Amino acid sequence: MNELIKIDNLMVKLQNKSILSDVELSLNKGEILGLVGPSGCGKTTLLNTLAGFIEQSDGEICIQREDNSPLLISQKNMLPAEQRNIGMIFQDYALFPHLSVTENICFGIRKLEKVEQQQRCKELLTLLELTEFSDRYPHQLSGGQQQRVAIARALAPQPSLLLLDEPFSNIDARLRNELMIEIRQLLKRLNMTAIFVTHNKDEVFTFADKIAVMHQGHVLQVGPPALVCQQPNSWQVADFLQLGSWLPVQTVTIENEQKLKSNIGLLTADVISNVSELVTNQTTENDKYYQLLVKPNDIALCPEQSANVIIEHIGVTEQGYHYLLNSIEQSSALSFVQLSFYSQQLFSVGSELSIELKGELFLLYPTD
Amino acid sequence: MVPVLVMVFAGINASTDLFLHLWSTVLPQYLSNTLWLGLSVAALSLCFGVPAAALISQTNIFMAKQLRWLLMLPLAMPAYLVAYLYTDLFDYAGPVQRFLREWFGWQSPSDYYFFDIRTLGGAAVVIALVLFPYVYMLTRTAFENQDRNLLRASRLLGCTEKQSFYQIALPLARPAIAVSLTLVIMETLADFATVQYFAVNTLTTAIYDTWLGYGDFAAANALASMLMLLVLFVVVAEQKARAGQRHQSSRPNTQQELKVLSMGQQVLASIFCWALVIAGFLLPVFLLLVMAIDYADYQQLLSLIDTGGNSIKVATYSATIATFIALLLALFHRLHHSKWRMLPLQISGFGYAIPGTVLAMAMLATFGPLDHAINAMAKFFEFKAPGLILSGTVFAIIFAYVVRFSAIANGTISAGIGQIPKSLDLAPGSLGVKLVPTVLRVHLPLLKSSILVAWLLVFVEAMKELPAVLLLRPFNFETLSTQIYQLISDERLEQGALGAILIVLFGLLPIIFLNRQKDSK
Repeated sequence: MNELIKIDNLMVKLQNKSILSDVELSLNKGEILGLVGPSGCGKTTLLNTLAGFIEQSDGEICIQREDNSPLLISQKNMLPAEQRNIGMIFQDYALFPHLSVTENICFGIRKLEKVEQQQRCKELLTLLELTEFSDRYPHQLSGGQQQRVAIARALAPQPSLLLLDEPFSNIDARLRNELMIEIRQLLKRLNMTAIFVTHNKDEVFTFADKIAVMHQGHVLQVGPPALVCQQPNSWQVADFLQLGSWLPVQTVTIENEQKLKSNIGLLTADVISNVSELVTNQTTENDKYYQLLVKPNDIALCPEQSANVIIEHIGVTEQGYHYLLNSIEQSSALSFVQLSFYSQQLFSVGSELSIELKGELFLLYPTD
Repeated sequence: MVPVLVMVFAGINASTDLFLHLWSTVLPQYLSNTLWLGLSVAALSLCFGVPAAALISQTNIFMAKQLRWLLMLPLAMPAYLVAYLYTDLFDYAGPVQRFLREWFGWQSPSDYYFFDIRTLGGAAVVIALVLFPYVYMLTRTAFENQDRNLLRASRLLGCTEKQSFYQIALPLARPAIAVSLTLVIMETLADFATVQYFAVNTLTTAIYDTWLGYGDFAAANALASMLMLLVLFVVVAEQKARAGQRHQSSRPNTQQELKVLSMGQQVLASIFCWALVIAGFLLPVFLLLVMAIDYADYQQLLSLIDTGGNSIKVATYSATIATFIALLLALFHRLHHSKWRMLPLQISGFGYAIPGTVLAMAMLATFGPLDHAINAMAKFFEFKAPGLILSGTVFAIIFAYVVRFSAIANGTISAGIGQIPKSLDLAPGSLGVKLVPTVLRVHLPLLKSSILVAWLLVFVEAMKELPAVLLLRPFNFETLSTQIYQLISDERLEQGALGAILIVLFGLLPIIFLNRQKDSK
């Protein structure tokens, strides 16, 4: 594989506080990586460290140059931002307000011959459909047009890596999807390697080839979005990606068989896909508590049983009514709140229902 | 505005021989002096203010926190005081030249070269030393409010730190620099005492001489109109230059990325900033203190209480009236929905552009005839003649101060009211509270600190103002500034050193207050 960037054991400390630790990532040429995670998890710090705005405390960043030679950046060999050949699109675009669209685009290629500058600028203006705005100033453009200028400006020096800091957060929700697809196609056409930061998981699924979920300065999981969704390696990943709701369960042995007890029924251990010791029945301890990831379609109504949940909230969605259910019994370690469930049938808030688990495969995570 | 128009009208009708005589003899020289002085002060303020602003806001200069406010202090220093003190210091008979003569054994001026401070160049340096903080403050604020991402973007596009500064930070600060230079030029054109002391004849000294020396009121009005035209030209030029530059609003960045200076750079930068602080404030204050300690006596203290009282009285009235008017105008602008709601605020803002001398002439041109009319009317109705109640009392001074300094109060209170979210105008209405109680219970409490700052700024300016009060004061009415001016003219500042210190101390008040307010935020 043609690895364009490799990050090894990267650490960043700011004012003696560890912001990033043991970050390991690699990206092939032409791949788009989406960095996601809750606010304050270190996504933007990672981007700024790659760009050269923040000094790393330890670890290495290796970027493949145009001629395939490696550009190694370490604490001993800190390269200033202008020598890294990395482009960046800022959240607020950071267009120079005193320069026209053309001047903004040509800013990074001013050392080239005039003719070459004009040629490249013209190509980018055409590519990003900005030709008619070339003489305008940033404040005379709409948000979407400003973003195109920011992209054109970042692409003009032909960077080896493009960084995008929450590039779609300022775009109207209606236009966002359309724009994401358009920009993804453009980056693919140019075979541009890109890393983008977002806290919106939906953006990752539309825009990225790979996803890296971050939490408290660590990269928890990296992989194709579909794979990460199917096999999240920690509850933080599953929680951030909002893959389902959480049901507390307890391990019990019934008739020599290990089972999982919950407030809405028993589950056999073989339906658990990610905790091997449970499946192979090697757990020695009983009465251990876990969190079971329950997707809305893993739950079914079970009218013949006595009621076990109460409806806290009802929402209307395209898939029918969306219910948030609390367990009726609220005093034990197996009590739960806000279990998500969809149904075409309309109930009222406060009604008591009986539900059961009907899924065939579940993910189980230890409680913290 | 009306007095200024009356003055211009009176000036147009001035076809007197004196004016023609002035035109054929000294007026071209006065005009060129005025222009040169304005340009030199602007250039020097630029050279002092912009590097200082860049060093404080963009680098890790040693003692940045202290220098940040120390560099504002020269604003508290009236230029004519510095002029006098430095002349005293650098003159042939002054301690510096005396020391040099003794040290090197020189006998007469022909033995060595020493710069003459009482020249146009000297006046420019002295005025620039006290006015550069305008450039420093506005430019520093502009640098600090720049979106750091713009500089980061330029770095990623291949600029070094230095190139980023010259190609992005500096051009973006251009509007702020232009505004501050306009202020500097306006203040320079309005200066009277410094140029008079240095015997550099400019339009302001010409107006004064023509009226008080030759008694030709019409010619003085014509000269004042000329000066007004010059100031208008500066203001319009600045507006025109800025018209094409509408920058997108940038979000201020709290993250500081300071350039780390090398040891050599650190030394040079510190010398530069400290030289400005010392030359513009610390040295003059030291000289004043020495004078005050050597010459202070009971008599001086008594006269200080008298003139100081006058100054404080006039400044308090002016500050209160100007702040009250500014508050009304700002509220009218904010809460009224008429298309013309901007107009009163804009018109009252012109006052600051009118030099004190011009304003005084305008007052005399208007209030003199008005007084005569009032007296004639009183006589007609067989009342006792009230005398010169407008032009012969402190009313004229206060009126002139209010007109001249309203712009400061307007600016401060408008900025304060701009910080109040618009929704707060509407929220009380939704709770059943009417307009007046809304203003009293919502806007006024929120504007408290802006009102105080506006009041302080006008108060201090009024304490320092000299040219207008010199022409408008009633007989035997002395303020601190006129007394000091008189003593400076007689080369006897020693006897007024305490008063001078008092003016400087009052000048420090808003700077300290604003600095503390910023720190507490």
